[in-house]
Amino acid sequence: MTLAAMNLTDMDESRPAMGVTIMAWTVIIFLQVPVLVVVLAAFSTTSYLTIPPQGLTMAWFGKVLNDPTYLSAIRMSLILAVGSTFLSLVVGVPAAYAIHRKAVAGSDAIGAFLMAPLVMPAVVVGVALLQYYSLVGLRGNLVALLLAHVVITVPYIVRAALASLFGVDSALEEAARVLGATGIETFRLVTLPLVTPGLFAGALFSFITSLDNVPVTIFLISGSQTTLPVLIFSSVEMGIDPSVAAVSTLLIIATGLVLWIAERRTGFHRFV
Amino acid sequence: MIRKKHGALLITPLGLLLGGFFLAPIFMLLPTSFREYIPGSGFRPHFWTFDNYLRIFADDYYREVIWRTLELGLCVTFICLVLGYPLAYVIVRGASRWRITLTMLVVFPMLLNLVVRSFGWIALLANRGLINTMLQQLGAITTPVKLMYNMTGIMIGLVHIYLPFMVLMLVAAIRNVPRDVEAAAATLGSSRMHVFWAVTLPLSAPGILAGSILVFVLTISALVTPRMLGGPTYKVMATVIYDEYMQLLDWASGSALAFTLTIIAIGIIAFSSRLTQRWVGAA
Repeated sequence: MTLAAMNLTDMDESRPAMGVTIMAWTVIIFLQVPVLVVVLAAFSTTSYLTIPPQGLTMAWFGKVLNDPTYLSAIRMSLILAVGSTFLSLVVGVPAAYAIHRKAVAGSDAIGAFLMAPLVMPAVVVGVALLQYYSLVGLRGNLVALLLAHVVITVPYIVRAALASLFGVDSALEEAARVLGATGIETFRLVTLPLVTPGLFAGALFSFITSLDNVPVTIFLISGSQTTLPVLIFSSVEMGIDPSVAAVSTLLIIATGLVLWIAERRTGFHRFV
Repeated sequence: MIRKKHGALLITPLGLLLGGFFLAPIFMLLPTSFREYIPGSGFRPHFWTFDNYLRIFADDYYREVIWRTLELGLCVTFICLVLGYPLAYVIVRGASRWRITLTMLVVFPMLLNLVVRSFGWIALLANRGLINTMLQQLGAITTPVKLMYNMTGIMIGLVHIYLPFMVLMLVAAIRNVPRDVEAAAATLGSSRMHVFWAVTLPLSAPGILAGSILVFVLTISALVTPRMLGGPTYKVMATVIYDEYMQLLDWASGSALAFTLTIIAIGIIAFSSRLTQRWVGAA
């Protein structure tokens, strides 16, 4: 950085005005408010939240962790999120590699098509799969639900893989080939380590997208098997109960931890 | 260079998956939208009709729902832009020691479960929710203000959900505005406001457009938040589709509305990418 450029960055003139900074922090607070409210509600003794809280209790957490409905919904959500992210990586990364190396005809068009599930309104994907699965008798089938989740998570993996591959210096791959590595060895020993941080970020997005999904899942589950967000969604329709706040708080803590670890391990903020 | 044969091999599993579980279901939904549903007995056999689509444009109820959805899309997009720009600007141009913290505080709610966030808003906006209770304790109001089961509630909830997407798009856009150009304008005597309006804002326009399209399309497609904060009676397109499938079992009308929503969403994306290309071509 030249001296002139440093001066420019450090000059007060180039900093946002006080009013703008205050607005920015107000928006940041707005973004955190519902999160804080849910956490407070989870510890509150009353079923309706008051400020200051009437009393503090951990009872709702105990209720959630002893409720087989919640436990099976949590298990189901985790199976789907882990399974769909894993499958998305397995089918998405090779496809992204082929597109990146222009190893198939019409690579750009294919790349655009792979993003289609992101453009399509989720509720439309949901009803289309509902009719399709009903016709072939797959409604309520766990594998069919898992594949539906792969459809909605795989674009994130493909996008992250393409962006990471784009950042790989092809001279490094060529050097490996010149030095005698096979195509697969080059991919495994050179390309893959270089794209891993980007793929990790993509996998995190995929995991959270699956864990978050209601508009596709709600059409495909059968009565007994449900996922955590669908369970919370239908509980709220029945009427609010503080155990919903408690299970939500558990999700908030899990999300916060995952984000913190991701930031520590890979500098996650670079990938958003 | 990997060979074409290998390339096809690498892409086939994903192609099969999307063909079988994305394209096929959507194409099979298309004929359904031309059927007639008779309550209790299913589709009328050997009968095809455009009525489901005609009804969407002729029926007052459907028209109201569609206009409401589009109005919601426009309002949410505009509010996200107005609230998001200052935040994105501070993230890019503010003190660097706050950059990561601010980014994380934007990303955290974005990653947080949609249902959980909407639930948080219910706790705030309900008649016996936090806001109404506090206003009553302060003596500002005597009867609760209706903040939920109407446009206000859905709008607040959706702005909260999609604001992070807008901020991240704007951060990328503002980062691409060359500081030398701003500095040059300032050196030549422009005031800070003028530099902003004449340089920074126009140069970040592609990002503004991209963010707005993203937020608009996500808003008109949203199901969960409108359902939770709009309740079972105040409906948007996605919640009407949901009810037609799950409660009325009228898949024919539901699929026609689903395709209408899809066409609006894809039409807007196609139109905006044309617009962006023309901009880039003109520059």
